[in-house]
Amino acid sequence: MHDDNLLMKTELSVSEITTLIKKTLEEGFYGLRVSGEISNFKPASSGHWFFTLKDSNASLSAIMFKSSTWKVNFQPREGDKVVVTGSLDVYAARGTYQMKCETMEKSGSGEILALLEERKRKYDAMGYFASGRKKQIPTKPNRVGVVTSSTGAALQDILQILSRRAPSLDILILPATVQGSSAALTIANRIRQANHLLLCDVLIVGRGGGSLEDLLPFSEDAVIQAIYESEIPVISAVGHEIDWALSDFVADLRAPTPSAAAELVSQGILDIRQKVENISLTIRKSMVHTLQLLEHRIPSTTAMQQSIAHLVERREYLLANAGQNMLLAYREKIEKSSQRVILATRELQALSPLAILARGYTLVFDSQGKPVHNREEAKVGEHIKLTFIDGSRKALVEE
Amino acid sequence: MSFETDVSRVEEIAQKLNASDTSLEESLALFEEGMRLSKKLEKTLSEAKSRVEIVLGDESDNAEITPFE
Repeated sequence: MHDDNLLMKTELSVSEITTLIKKTLEEGFYGLRVSGEISNFKPASSGHWFFTLKDSNASLSAIMFKSSTWKVNFQPREGDKVVVTGSLDVYAARGTYQMKCETMEKSGSGEILALLEERKRKYDAMGYFASGRKKQIPTKPNRVGVVTSSTGAALQDILQILSRRAPSLDILILPATVQGSSAALTIANRIRQANHLLLCDVLIVGRGGGSLEDLLPFSEDAVIQAIYESEIPVISAVGHEIDWALSDFVADLRAPTPSAAAELVSQGILDIRQKVENISLTIRKSMVHTLQLLEHRIPSTTAMQQSIAHLVERREYLLANAGQNMLLAYREKIEKSSQRVILATRELQALSPLAILARGYTLVFDSQGKPVHNREEAKVGEHIKLTFIDGSRKALVEE
Repeated sequence: MSFETDVSRVEEIAQKLNASDTSLEESLALFEEGMRLSKKLEKTLSEAKSRVEIVLGDESDNAEITPFE
């Protein structure tokens, strides 16, 4: 009261009053928990977050520095209902005050997390999470069961990865509601159904990312119990890498995401594919190697070619020679023959009746053209033909 | 032959082919067999069309299974 009176009587500069306000607000308002709705959320490139917290009647400027934002396990969005802790901070130059936030969680998440922690402790104590009872995930499954929403992105991711990495792997989809109050029961039913009918040799149970509440079905008693009782090895694949659900602890294997679960179940098959490819490559290499070794043992083909060429050349030469000889012999023979022809012709010419006629003799033929050799054949009173060297005359035999 | 025995046979063939005392005739026969088997295995692993099915009924002892999509 005394101070108030003093303040009212004193004239203060803007700086003085601001300093007083800063002192009063910062020393009087710390260790606060404030709930409200996020609006005007602006993440700066520096890593700090600027936003306004509001409810139906009031709003409060807020800032969260980079040193604190990394601890927040979700990405704040417009309209998110959150609880922040921190203190008030006065910015003298502008005459404004704001909430400097140290932590941020979604409204109600504190209770949910506490509940989950308690449930986790309970099942842990009951031995549900014991590493000794984890089943081996088959390295080369024949059919993989997927318990998830048949319309969710998680299923598409899983199908896409499996068809790329292990196209031979059969897939059985066990559609389940993965969000809301009925979700836990449908998920648990699908796990039981797969077991009852022994429909597959490994089960992926999961969904894509979502809020803490969205993922809650995977932490419900029904799901925990069904996974615990499953004869088929179960891979829990809930949300993103930072998300978790109690199904992660009771399952035989936790995959950070549904895609990662698909990669895990197809790894063995992918490994064998690569192994077969490698062996096939090895076989081809060793065959090439064997052939190369053998090739070295065969005498050089060029040397062989040369000797063959040499042989052929020699024979060609001989052949050409023989040809030449033949031609010569042939010519010689023709020469000789023509000599003989000339001689024979001469001889013939000497013997020719024409030659005799040329010497003045005459050939005599009777009327029938027969040669007349003697006196008797030339009958008196008949005509005969006398042939001279230059022609013939008809004559009559008189006596 | 089963998948597993095929894989071990191909491995065995690769080993024999690497051995220096294998004759050419034997090598060729082994090579042919190895390539045939590994092609078959690769085909089984990468080309075989998998069945994608979905369970319709939700009773645990009577499920109707049909192809998905």
